[in-house]
Amino acid sequence: MATPLEIIKQKRAQAVKRIIEKGYLSRFRIYVGMATCEIAAGSADVLTVFKEAIEKGILKDVYLSQKGCAGRCNLEPTIEIIEEGKIPVKYGKITPERAKEIINRHLLKGEIIKEWIIN
Amino acid sequence: MNNKEFVIILCNGSSCLKNKSNDIKNELIKQLEKNNLLSKVEIHLSGCLGMCAKGPIMIINPGYVIYGNLKVENIETIVQRHLIKRELISEFIIKEDHLFNRFFRIFGDVNFFGRQMRITLRNCGIINPESIDDYLSVRGYEALAKVLNEMTPAQVIEEVKKSGLRGRGGGGFPTGKKWELTAKVEAKEKYVICNADEGDPGAFMDRSAIEGDPHTILEGMIIGGYAIGSQKGIIYIRAEYPLAIKRLEKAINDARAEGFLGNNILGSNFSFDIEIRLGAGAFVCGEETALIHSIEGYRGMPRPRPPYPAQSGLFEKPTLINNVETWANIPVIILEGADWFSSIGTEKSKGTKVFALAGNVVNTGLIEVPMGITLRQIIYEIGGGIPNNKKFKAVQTGGPSGGCLPEQYLDTPVDYESLIKAGSIMGSGGMIVMDENTCMVNIAKFFLEFTQNESCGKCTPCREGTKRMLEILERITEGKGEVGDIEKLERLGNMIKKASLCGLGQSAPNPVLSTIKNFREEYEEHIKDRKCRAGVCQRLLRYIITDKCIGCGLCKKVCPVKAITGEPKSIHKIDETKCIKCGLCYSKCKFSAIKKD
Repeated sequence: MATPLEIIKQKRAQAVKRIIEKGYLSRFRIYVGMATCEIAAGSADVLTVFKEAIEKGILKDVYLSQKGCAGRCNLEPTIEIIEEGKIPVKYGKITPERAKEIINRHLLKGEIIKEWIIN
Repeated sequence: MNNKEFVIILCNGSSCLKNKSNDIKNELIKQLEKNNLLSKVEIHLSGCLGMCAKGPIMIINPGYVIYGNLKVENIETIVQRHLIKRELISEFIIKEDHLFNRFFRIFGDVNFFGRQMRITLRNCGIINPESIDDYLSVRGYEALAKVLNEMTPAQVIEEVKKSGLRGRGGGGFPTGKKWELTAKVEAKEKYVICNADEGDPGAFMDRSAIEGDPHTILEGMIIGGYAIGSQKGIIYIRAEYPLAIKRLEKAINDARAEGFLGNNILGSNFSFDIEIRLGAGAFVCGEETALIHSIEGYRGMPRPRPPYPAQSGLFEKPTLINNVETWANIPVIILEGADWFSSIGTEKSKGTKVFALAGNVVNTGLIEVPMGITLRQIIYEIGGGIPNNKKFKAVQTGGPSGGCLPEQYLDTPVDYESLIKAGSIMGSGGMIVMDENTCMVNIAKFFLEFTQNESCGKCTPCREGTKRMLEILERITEGKGEVGDIEKLERLGNMIKKASLCGLGQSAPNPVLSTIKNFREEYEEHIKDRKCRAGVCQRLLRYIITDKCIGCGLCKKVCPVKAITGEPKSIHKIDETKCIKCGLCYSKCKFSAIKKD
C-alpha cells in the first residue's frame, strides 16, 4: 500500500497536470484579485472584461485565474500579468476601461503601460 | 496555446555563471533531447535571482519549484524524476528561500514587500483560492502527508513546541504547550476549533488569509487534530464574511473529495472532519469560552477559567482552540522544520506577524513582517510614511484592546513583550496610524464606544464600568468636562481591568488609559481650556467670522438657530451663546471668511 507521502506526490502530479490542461503554460497568465476588498473596489467587473475577451476570441494563449488579496488595499483592484521568463507586471487601480486598454496595448501589442504599474 | 508542459528558469547571474550554470544549461538540453522532451519544455535564462549562496539555481514552473546547489550530474536526475516521473526531488530543493520565493518572484521588485516575510500569507495573492489543484501544486497537504507518514503525535507537538510559535489571536500563549495540554487529557472525544471570529474595527487579517488560501487553515487543523487525538474540527467564523465562508465550504468539500478529510486520511488510520459554524458577529465571541458557548447554542458569554478549554471545552470535552493565523503557521513549521522557523524573529517571539495597516499612512494594506521589526520600519518603510506632509502622532496596535503609542515608542520592536512594556499589546493585528489631526480623547471614546457596545453584560465591572467611563468621555468631548475627570477615568479603568471576567473587559480601558498616559495634556486642554487642538471635537470649536466677510448673508440664512446677525454688506457676527457648533455656516461660506478656532 502506498504511503501518505507517495499518495501526496501522486496527487500533486495529477493536480499539476490538470492545471496545465487548463492552459497554465499559455503565453500570459493573468491573475485578478478577487478577495472581498478587491471585489468591493470593483474587481469583479474587471474579471468579466478579461473573460469576455477570451470568450470572444480576442485574447488567445492566456490563462486567466482569480487570486486572493496580496495586501495592496489602497491600489485595488490589482491584477498581475505573468509571462514566463519576464518580470511579472503588476497593475493597480484597474477599472473595466483600463482592463480593456491592457488587453489592447499590453496583451495584444506587448506594450507595458507604465503609469498603472505598482512599484 | 502552446504544448509546453514545463518552464525551466535558469539563473544566469554572474555568481551562478561562475558556478557553471552554462554547463548545466547544455547538459539540460542534452538530457531533454535524449528523452525526447525538448518540445515539451521551455527554457529561460534569467538575471540574478538573489540566491547566490545556493547557486546555481533552477526554477521549474508550474509549481515554482526551486532547486539549488546544482551540479551537472544532477541534471539527469531532475529530468528523470521531476520532468518524467513528476516528483519533487527534496534533496535539491532550496529550503530557506523557496516559500517566500514563490511570492517574491511575482511581487519581489515592489518596495512595499521588500521588508516583509510571507509565511502564513505565502500563497495569498499567488494561487487561485478556489482551486485545490493550485494549493497542491505549491506543496499543499505535503505537511499533512509528512506527519502521517513519519511522525507520531508526540513528535508533532514537540516540533510545534520547539518552533516557539505563540498564539496569534493576541494572547501569545505558547501554541505547542496548548497542544500538549490538550493531548495529555484522556478522552474519547476531543475537538479542534479555529477561531475566525475577527472583530477588531479596521482589522481584516483573518478574512484575507481565508479568502486567499483556505486550504492552509484546513491543513493546519487536520495536523492539530492528529497531534491531540481529535476527529472533529470546527471553524467558527462570523456570518458577515460571506466570501470567506463560501471559499472555506468549497475547500472543505474539495479536501473531502481528495481524501484529506474524512475516514482514513491518505490511507492512514487517522480520521478527521471539519465543519463550519457561523457566528452572529459579537465581538465577545472571539473570547474562547464565549465562542464555545456560542457553538453549543447558548448565548455567547464567557465563563471563568479554569477549567481551560484544554481540559473542558466544547460540550465539556477537551478542546484545542487556535486562531486562523496560528493554524496557518503549522504546515510551514512541519515542512521547513522548527529550527528554521525559530531562526526568524526575536528571542521570545518567533516567526512573523500579520498586520492590517490602516489609518493615516500612505500604503494601507495587509502586511506580514518578521517579529522584531520596529514600528518605525513598518510605518515609514513599508507604509511609506504619513500622507500630505502631516506629522505622526500615534500608532494604535491591538485594536480596542490595545493602546496608542506616541512618537518616542516608534523604535519599539514588534514582539509580545516589548509592546506590553510600551503600554500596548500585540493583539490580533490591527495597526492604525494617526496623524496630528487626530484627537486622542475622541479616539479613546471611539474604541470605548465599541467595547461598551460589545460588552455582553455578564459581569458588572465591564457592563457598568465601561458605560460610566464612556459617559465621562462624552462629557469631556462636549466641553462639559470637570476637574477630576481624568483621575476618575484612571480609577475606573484600573478597576475594570482587574475585576472583569474576560479579556474584553480586562482590556477595554486600555485605549483610554494609554491615551491618558501619553497624551494627558490633551485631556487637560479639553477639560480646562475647552479646547480640542486637533479640531475634531465639534462642540469645542469656536466659529469666528473674519474681516474677509462681505456681508452676503448666506451664513445668516443657513444658521438653524439664528445665531448669526449682521446688516447686508457689513461684517456679520456669531453669538456664541446661541451657536450649537454645527459647522453649517463654515461649510457654506463662499469667501472662506469663517474660521475655526
